Amino acid sequence: MKRPPRTHRVVAVVAVVTLVLPAVLRESALSVYILLELAAIVTVGVSLLMGYAGQVSLGQAAFYASGANAAALLSLHGFPTGIGLLVAPIVAAVFALIVGIPLLRLRGHHLAFATLATQLIYLSMVGRMHLTGGDIGLQGIPPLTLGPFVLHADRNYAYLAWAALALVVLITHNVMTSRPGRALRALATSEVAAESSGVPVGRYKLAVFALAAGFAGLAGGIYAFYVGYVAPGSFPVLLSFEYVVMAVVGGLGTIEGALVGAALVTVVVQSLNQVATLGGMPSYAPIVLSYAAYSGLLIVAVLFLPQGIVDKERLRALATRWRARWTTPR
Amino acid sequence: MLRIEGLSRPFGGVYAVRNVSVDVADGELRGIIGPNGAGKSTLFNLISGHLRPTQGRITLRSERIEGLSAHERARRGIAIVFQGARIFRGMTVRENVMVGAHARTRHGFLDAALRTPLHKREEREIRQSTDAALERVGLADWADRYAEALPLGQQRTMQVARALCGEPALLLLDEPASGLRARERHELARLIEGLRGGGLTIMLIEHDVQFVSNLADRLTVLNLGEILAEGAPEEIRRNDDVITAYLGREPAP
Repeated sequence: MKRPPRTHRVVAVVAVVTLVLPAVLRESALSVYILLELAAIVTVGVSLLMGYAGQVSLGQAAFYASGANAAALLSLHGFPTGIGLLVAPIVAAVFALIVGIPLLRLRGHHLAFATLATQLIYLSMVGRMHLTGGDIGLQGIPPLTLGPFVLHADRNYAYLAWAALALVVLITHNVMTSRPGRALRALATSEVAAESSGVPVGRYKLAVFALAAGFAGLAGGIYAFYVGYVAPGSFPVLLSFEYVVMAVVGGLGTIEGALVGAALVTVVVQSLNQVATLGGMPSYAPIVLSYAAYSGLLIVAVLFLPQGIVDKERLRALATRWRARWTTPR
Repeated sequence: MLRIEGLSRPFGGVYAVRNVSVDVADGELRGIIGPNGAGKSTLFNLISGHLRPTQGRITLRSERIEGLSAHERARRGIAIVFQGARIFRGMTVRENVMVGAHARTRHGFLDAALRTPLHKREEREIRQSTDAALERVGLADWADRYAEALPLGQQRTMQVARALCGEPALLLLDEPASGLRARERHELARLIEGLRGGGLTIMLIEHDVQFVSNLADRLTVLNLGEILAEGAPEEIRRNDDVITAYLGREPAP
């Protein structure tokens, strides 16, 4: 039998390991694992948006929050929870379409600030509206029920998030390796030339913005059912920065980069959290340390790993050097 | 094929193109010449849709197109090769050329995500026509390199391949020979001849009057945004107005 290509083997190994993990992790580690998966779902979208299509979003947590709010509201108003989960990405994508029409006329820093402002406005509105429970938020969200299965245990949410992440990765991979994906990569470096090749640049930017938001909304929907309550405070601006840091540290414009970045940043920040909550530490230690971790990782990545950790050319060079070292007799 | 009537476009009160009318026949190779700032590139941008005219009309195969955006005009068969290297960085030469097929294919995000039959059929076809286009311009050996790693001449040729991959009805070439070495210019000329032989309608902006005279059926001379003369290359070379505008001296008595 022909050996499957290397990437297929790597994907298979990663899939098996990540599927076994929820079964062996302790409860506290399991919750970190679920948050990692949810962050990875959002980050794949951010990487798609920033790395492939060359657009920026510093407000991705707003789309995450809109998905969470939509799922929470629907299930609290008697709709089946499955419908809530299904609607979450749709609401986030529609939200992105509406704000994207004016915002995507901006570029670079202007777009970054505009998306940041979008999140601030969203949080402020949600915090004032009776419908969304004001600053206290929405509580008592029922557990997700999919057909005969009621998802109570954390482990089930780990598998659900895994499936969602796999879906998001598959969609991203399929889109990027075909006509619309090439068009997105093209418009990232020359809108004029893309336009003359027949790419409707404005519409494509809007589509990728909505797609990335849809991913965030899906993760938000799962988050709502997993945690059981959503409040404006659950979706700080820091969260949006976190996704960008994850995407940049891992390596923009690659799916592997988004996954590695999300995993690394989550693990680092959670470990620091452990330290920060030790006896004798001030109450503001966790937030200060996480800010320090984000900025530190970002600076290190930009200075020393501009292509991110998953820089294929550099990894290939490293692998060759190691192989040479181990195979030459001393 | 293409009819331009009374086309005007000012920039801050100065007309870059003023009351220009041009008729290009099916299968014709039309050369556009004129001194710097004559409005040649502006005319191309007005035809390709990157600029909108303030006056006048453009008709492509009996359809009015002056109100359409650039990507809509690309779908109707207008392809442009820019003077500068407008390449897609971070993409291989093959991928750059594949983008050219966007204008005549239609599978979108949903088809790609679901890998529908339409996606599979179109991707296969795009791959084949890309290989054919690369072969035709002689870039097949460079297909897997990154576009930004190519010398300027090859980047220009790559743009021609990208345009061809869209199977256009009208090809606009903006000074494709500038910056090329003698041998490359010769190859380019042969390529352009071959394209015209295949029935493609071409408009060619060129500084080098000799180069364009050998290729074109007719020449249009622009000066200060207006048409100075139009005719067969040998007529144009004897035209007194053209000699004055080009050489800045009175024609010999």
